[in-house]
Amino acid sequence: MKEVLKAVVNVFLKMPLGFMVTIKYFFRKPVTLDYPHKKRPMAPRYRGRHYLERYDDGTERCVCCGLCAAACPADAIYMEPEENEKGERRARIYEINLLRCIFCGFCEEACPEEAIFLGHEYEFSDYERSSFLWTKEQMLVQHPRKDNPFKRIYRRVRKAYGAPDKIS
Amino acid sequence: MADDTRKKTTTKAVATVTLTIDGKSITVPKGTTVLEAALQNGIHIPTFCWHPKLKSVGACRMCYVEIEKMAKLQVSCATEAVEGMVVHTDSDNVKQGRRAIIEFILLNHPLDCPTCDKGGECDLQNLTFEHGYDDSRFDFRKSRFVDEGSTSTFDDVRIGPEIVLNRNRCILCYKCVRANKEAFGEYDLGAYERGNITQINSAPGEKVDNPFSGNLVEICPVGALTNSDWRYKIRVWLTKTTPSLCNFTSSGTNTLFYKEDHQNKIFRTTSRRNDDIDDGWLPDVTRYGYQIVNSPDRLRVPLIKKEGKQVEATWDEALDLIHKHFTEISDKMGSVCIGGLASPSLDNKSLYAFSKFFRTVLNSNNVDFRSDYRMLPPDAETVFSRLCSRPFKIADIDDSDVVFVFGSDLLREHPNEYLRMRKACNFNNARVFVVNPYATKAADIAALEAVYKVGSDEQAINGICLAAIDDNLVSGPKAKALAEKLSPLTLPETSKACGITVDDLRILARALAESRKISFMCGEIVTRSKERETITTAVSNLNLLFGLENKGQVASLARYANSGGACKLGVQPSPAPAVKDKLKEIWGGYPECEPHNTDSMLALMKKEEVAGFFVIGANPIMLHPDRQFVREGLEKLDFLVACDLFESETTEIADVVLPLCSWAEYDGEYVNLEGRSQRAERAVKPMFESRPGCEIIKLITAKYEKSLGEDEQLTSEIQQLLDLDSALPLPTEFMAVKVVVEDKQDEGFEIPLFVTDDPHHCGHLTEKSPSLTSFADDAYLEIGPDLAERLKLKEGDNVRVESPVGKVIVPARISEHIENDVVLIPRNFSSTPITSLLMRKKRIDRVTLSKVDS
Repeated sequence: MKEVLKAVVNVFLKMPLGFMVTIKYFFRKPVTLDYPHKKRPMAPRYRGRHYLERYDDGTERCVCCGLCAAACPADAIYMEPEENEKGERRARIYEINLLRCIFCGFCEEACPEEAIFLGHEYEFSDYERSSFLWTKEQMLVQHPRKDNPFKRIYRRVRKAYGAPDKIS
Repeated sequence: MADDTRKKTTTKAVATVTLTIDGKSITVPKGTTVLEAALQNGIHIPTFCWHPKLKSVGACRMCYVEIEKMAKLQVSCATEAVEGMVVHTDSDNVKQGRRAIIEFILLNHPLDCPTCDKGGECDLQNLTFEHGYDDSRFDFRKSRFVDEGSTSTFDDVRIGPEIVLNRNRCILCYKCVRANKEAFGEYDLGAYERGNITQINSAPGEKVDNPFSGNLVEICPVGALTNSDWRYKIRVWLTKTTPSLCNFTSSGTNTLFYKEDHQNKIFRTTSRRNDDIDDGWLPDVTRYGYQIVNSPDRLRVPLIKKEGKQVEATWDEALDLIHKHFTEISDKMGSVCIGGLASPSLDNKSLYAFSKFFRTVLNSNNVDFRSDYRMLPPDAETVFSRLCSRPFKIADIDDSDVVFVFGSDLLREHPNEYLRMRKACNFNNARVFVVNPYATKAADIAALEAVYKVGSDEQAINGICLAAIDDNLVSGPKAKALAEKLSPLTLPETSKACGITVDDLRILARALAESRKISFMCGEIVTRSKERETITTAVSNLNLLFGLENKGQVASLARYANSGGACKLGVQPSPAPAVKDKLKEIWGGYPECEPHNTDSMLALMKKEEVAGFFVIGANPIMLHPDRQFVREGLEKLDFLVACDLFESETTEIADVVLPLCSWAEYDGEYVNLEGRSQRAERAVKPMFESRPGCEIIKLITAKYEKSLGEDEQLTSEIQQLLDLDSALPLPTEFMAVKVVVEDKQDEGFEIPLFVTDDPHHCGHLTEKSPSLTSFADDAYLEIGPDLAERLKLKEGDNVRVESPVGKVIVPARISEHIENDVVLIPRNFSSTPITSLLMRKKRIDRVTLSKVDS
C-alpha cells in the first residue's frame, strides 16, 4: 500500500514539479523562429551585406573615389570610374567580393559621400563562387524608396557647396 | 627683382653670401633666394606657386619664413638671401602663418576630393594635413563658377582637346599661365577678371592645344586642370611607377609611367626631371604617346601568307617559314640578296642583334636604319656625317649667348631643344637667330628670323660668310682663304640668290662673330635635303671662319629616339671606320660584300637582285619620300618579313608579319642625340603574343642553329661600341661650295612643299594614340595667310594638292606665322599618303594648289 501511495505521489505531484519549467514554457511565446519563413530583426548596427545609397532624385551617391577600396583590409572592393553624360564622376564598375569581405565596416566609415552601408542581410549561400561577386546594380537601393534618412545630411552638404536646393 | 635673381644664379655666380637657416650656416651664390638656399640644403619649405624652372611671383604666400630684424613674415621665394641673414622656417610664427594661408586658400576651394583626380597626390591636400586647421571657421557659401545651362554639379569646362578646367578648385597660383608664357611661349591660357571671381581660362575663342599643354596639367598643384588621359581612370595610389624614356623625340626625355599590374596597362606619363635633358617639361607627343602601348589595334599573333591571304600562325610556324625562305634565297642567289631595315626607335640590343644577325649569320652588309632619308650618304667619311657626329649638349643651350638655328623647325623636330632655346632667350638674354626657308613659331623670341629662298640653303650660309669678310669682322689669312674658295660669289649676288637682304646677312655675321658661347643647330631641312653635302660644306666653312666650335657647339641633330645608338652600333651599310674595326675585332670577321643602303636596296629589288627583306619596326612605304618606288620594290620581293606594332602599309604586303613589342614592354637602352645612353625599364608585360626585337632576332638565329651570344655578352659588346669615341672632326680647311642650280621645274608646279611632322605627332605610330589624334587626326595643308588669300582659301577648305607624280586632297589650315609662299603637310597620317607627292630625285618638291568645291 505504501508503495502504491508513493507511486501516486510521484506521478501526480513530483513529476509535474520536476517538469514545472518545461510545462511553464508550453504556455510561453517560443524564442525560436520558423526561420526560413520568419526572420529575426537584426540589431540596428549589424553589419551584413552592403548596399549603395541614392540621392532623392535617384542618382547614385557613389562617385567611385576609391576610399572604400583603399580602406578595405581584405581587398574585396574593385572599382573603375567613368564620366557620366553630365560630366560627373560615377562608377562604371563597382564590385564587392563577399567571399573576401570580412564585414568590418571600414568601407562604410571611409565613404565621404555616405554612399555605401552595411545592411542587415546575412544569408549568403550559393552554388557558384562567381555569384558572390556583387555588382553595383545588385547593391544599389531601389529608386523611389519610401523613406530617406539621408535627406538632412544631403541638404547640409549641398548648402556647404552652395548648390541650389532644387534637386533635393 | 625675381628676374634679375634668376639671371645671376644661372649665369656666372662668383660672389657668395652666408646666411643661417634654422641654425644651419649656409653659403650660397649671391642672388639666390632664401627658398632656393633652403631647398638646396635639405630644408623643406612648402610652396604652391613656386616652380624651379619659372620666375618667382609670390602668389600663394605659402613659403612664409621668419627673418630676424624684419617685422613681418616674408615670402622666401621672392626674398634674396643676404649676408648675415638669420632665417627661421619652423617657428611658431611661421606655423601660424602657414595655417592661416591654408585656411584662406580653402575659403573657396571645394572639398570635393572624392571626385577630384588629384586626390592622393594633391599639394593642397598634403599641406592641409600637414599645416592646416581641422575645421573651417567660415560658414558661408563657397563662391562657385557655374556656366549657364549646365546641369552638372561639377562645373568642368573643356578648354582644349585634352584639358579640362575646374575653376572652383583653382587656387590661383598662376603656375600654368606662367609656364605657358615663360617656358613655352604660348598665350592660349590666361587669368581673367578680378578679385573673388578671378579665373584661369583659355583665351577668348581659343583652345589650349599647344604642343606642351600636357605640362600645365602636371604642374597644377590642385585638381583645377586635369586631362582626359588620366581623368576618371584610376586612383594614383593604385598605380606603380616605372622610369622610362620618350621613344618619339631624339632627346631621350626622361619620363615616368604610371601603370597598374593587374590590368597590365599604363595610365599616364609624367616627367622625371632631368636638368641635363628636359628640365621637367614633356612635349605632348611624349606625354600621350604611351597610349599606343595599350591600343586594341596592336598586332596580336604572327601572320603568314597562305594562298595570297594572311592567316594567323604560331611563332614557331612563322619562324620556320622565315628560315626556310631565307636559306632558299641565299642558296639560290647568295646571301647578299637579303636586306634588312630597322627602325631607329628600337633599343640598342635589338639594333645590335639585327646588325650582328645580318653580318655574322647571313653574311650580308645590307642593313640600314633610315627609311625616310631622301638621300643616304654614300660614304661614312662625308662632311655631313662628320657634322652629325659632333658632340652636342642640350644643357649647353641654356647659357649660350647666341642660339643659331639653321634649316630647322625646332618646335616640330626637337621640342625639348626648342624649349631650351626659349629658356636661353627668356632667362639668360641669349639672342636667337633662325635661318629657315619658312618662318617658324620661334619668331617671337628670335632677334632675327631670316627666311631664305627655298633651295638656296648653301647660299644663305655663303652669304653670312661673305658678309663677315665684307664687314671685316674676320680678317687675315682666314678671310682671304675663304674668299678665294668662294671667289666668283659676291655679297650682293648671294644675297639676291638666297633672298636674305644684305643688312640681315651682316647682322647674322656680326652675331656669330661677336658671340662668346654659341649653339649652332642644323635640322631636317638640311639633313633631308638632296644637297646636304653641299650645305654642310658651307656650314663647315662658316664654322672655320668664325671658330664656332671653339666657342660652343655645332651639330646636326639626330631625329629619332635611338638614331645615335644606331650610328654608334654600326647599323648602317658602311659604318664609321672605328666602328667597323671594332666589329671586326669582336666578331672575328666582317662581311666583305658590297654594302647597300635603303635606297640602293630598293633599286636592287626592282632589278630582282635583292629577294628577301626583313623590316623591323619601320614602315618604309609611309616614311620613304618616294612611295611608288618603295611599293614597287617591296612587291617584287620573293619574301618580305615585317615586324611592327600595328598593321601598316608594309605589313599588308608582307609574307610574314610578326608582332613587335613597344619600348614600354621590355628593358632597353637608348642613345639620345647627345650620345648619352639611357635606360627605359619594362613597364608592362608584352601585349598579346608580341616579342621584343632582340628576342625575335635571337629566335630566328636559333633556327639557323647559331647563336648571337648570351645577354651579358651582347651587353658587353654594345658597351665596347658605345665607349668608342665616334665623333669625327669637322674639316679644318675651307672648301669650295658648288652652287647648285635647281633642277628644271615642272611646268606649272610652283609652290614648294615641305613634308614635316605635326607638332603633336612623330613618326608613323603616334596616330594610334587617341589623345594625340584629338589634336590632329588627319593630314592638313599648313599655309600662310598671304598665299591663302591669293588662292582664295579659307580655314578648313578642302584643297587639291597636286605634284607631277600624285595628288591628295587635304583641308587647309592657315598659320599666321608663315609669311612666304610655302606649304607644309604633316606626314604622320596613314589615311593621307603624302609621300606619294614626292619625287626622290628632286631637291625641292613643288605642287599646285586648287580649291575643291564640295
